[in-house]
Amino acid sequence: MPDARFVGLNAFQWIAMLAALLTLLLLVDAWAGHYRRGFIHRVQYAPFLSGGLLAIFAIAAVVAPRTGWIESALRVAGWLAVAVGLAGFCLHHYYGIIRKPGGYKLLLNYLMYGAPPLAPLALSAMGVFALIAAKGLAGGVDIAGLPIRTVLLALIVVCMFGAILQAGLLHFRGAFNNPLMYAPLTTPVLTALAGIWTMASPCSAAAIALCALLWLTLLTGFVGIGMHLRGFDRQMAGLYVSLFNWLQGPPAAAPAVFSGLAAIGLVTMRLL
Amino acid sequence: MPTRSDTPSDPRPGLAVRPGISSATAGQDQSYSTASVPARPAPKWNRARGLPAGRGATVTRLNHAIRLAKLTAPLHPILVHFTIALTVTSFAFDLLELLFGFNTLLAVGWWTLTAAVLVTMGTIATGVKSRLRLPIEEGEARSFLRVHMALGPSFFGLLVALGIWRGELWQAGATVTWWYVAAMIGVMVVTAVQGYLGGELVYRYGAEVKFRYRELPGRRQRFPRHLDVSEAESRRPDDEAPTQRA
Repeated sequence: MPDARFVGLNAFQWIAMLAALLTLLLLVDAWAGHYRRGFIHRVQYAPFLSGGLLAIFAIAAVVAPRTGWIESALRVAGWLAVAVGLAGFCLHHYYGIIRKPGGYKLLLNYLMYGAPPLAPLALSAMGVFALIAAKGLAGGVDIAGLPIRTVLLALIVVCMFGAILQAGLLHFRGAFNNPLMYAPLTTPVLTALAGIWTMASPCSAAAIALCALLWLTLLTGFVGIGMHLRGFDRQMAGLYVSLFNWLQGPPAAAPAVFSGLAAIGLVTMRLL
Repeated sequence: MPTRSDTPSDPRPGLAVRPGISSATAGQDQSYSTASVPARPAPKWNRARGLPAGRGATVTRLNHAIRLAKLTAPLHPILVHFTIALTVTSFAFDLLELLFGFNTLLAVGWWTLTAAVLVTMGTIATGVKSRLRLPIEEGEARSFLRVHMALGPSFFGLLVALGIWRGELWQAGATVTWWYVAAMIGVMVVTAVQGYLGGELVYRYGAEVKFRYRELPGRRQRFPRHLDVSEAESRRPDDEAPTQRA
């Protein structure tokens, strides 16, 4: 277990906490999307079960690290989240594109207006972060022969590209009606590239660039939350008809994914 | 027609004041004539005891006090002052420490900023709650509100980033740097802009204020409180129609 701590918590406790927080935020958006579709399939409740368990055991691991049964439970919850996320990805693809009239012929339309294709993979990613946290809390230093730091950076880069793709798709649907809608396609892209640079040739310049860009990405996420709130309010009657505009407006918590990933990146860079 | 319970009491003995009229003009206004209100002898020692609890009566019993205990004020304007005060206090202590070397202020700067971050989560949540119940039409006020809403989470992000930075300094036992102070000044500017927007929303446009303020005991109402303006207008007596008033 690493010695470096921030405000009393070590790196893996922070990663577990951030994974729990991000999972809860993901569930907020998942609830909006599934509620909008009326929960027509019972399997649409699955992310709330697996995500809820993941959040509970991740918080428990923060509060009581090095507790055997909690680490085991966190590992189970992590694998469950990975499985549910992958199943969700397949179901979103099947019901969101294949089963729709026209199918792949109207791919762009269904990618934009159907079920968000990459969103379930975010739950899988949180599951992987939880598994890494459990491994680290148990004293592990590598995963499949790779140092945990490298694995975390690689995962952050992959997740960042996924979030950029999903945000780009939805902002394209929104016709980039505000210049700030280009933000997810700027700073996070550079952050992901800096992450690759740091993994490929670790040096102080790459580390400094990555840290600076992670800070900017962290702020970008918060600005995004504010702009999404403003996005609700731009619609007819704004938040006064909150349920309708929450369901039809931009996903409330989605920009927080960038902040969360950046925060995990900063933890990796500073504490591991 | 105003009811007895809506009628504020007049401190002068023997005078009953009804909405919309003064004692001097009471006889000229037929719609509010004293004959339409049943006379009720008031107790000599406490006129307000004739009113039901919660509608202006003097509170004399514990169960009345418990029933009246509710928070009617919106929480957002309460919490926002903690956010501002704690952030400014942290900045002030850090600046004092940097300028005069008061090492004891190091911990104060950190903990007040931590408290600011924690309180601001509540501030944002209550701000959204306030927005949910605010019927505001398109126009100037809503433009202020949109910027206020967009800036709120951005300010919180800056506060979180500074909190992490400050936490690292506190953990290392180091003093704050001029870079940190410069960043904090930037956050102060954002705070000022955000506070200005919020203040204008309340004091210029009356967001969450109209018809919700606690009236002074001697205030003479034109219409029963908690009524919408349009409803009150529709209840206006004929002799006060707009054309005649003009």
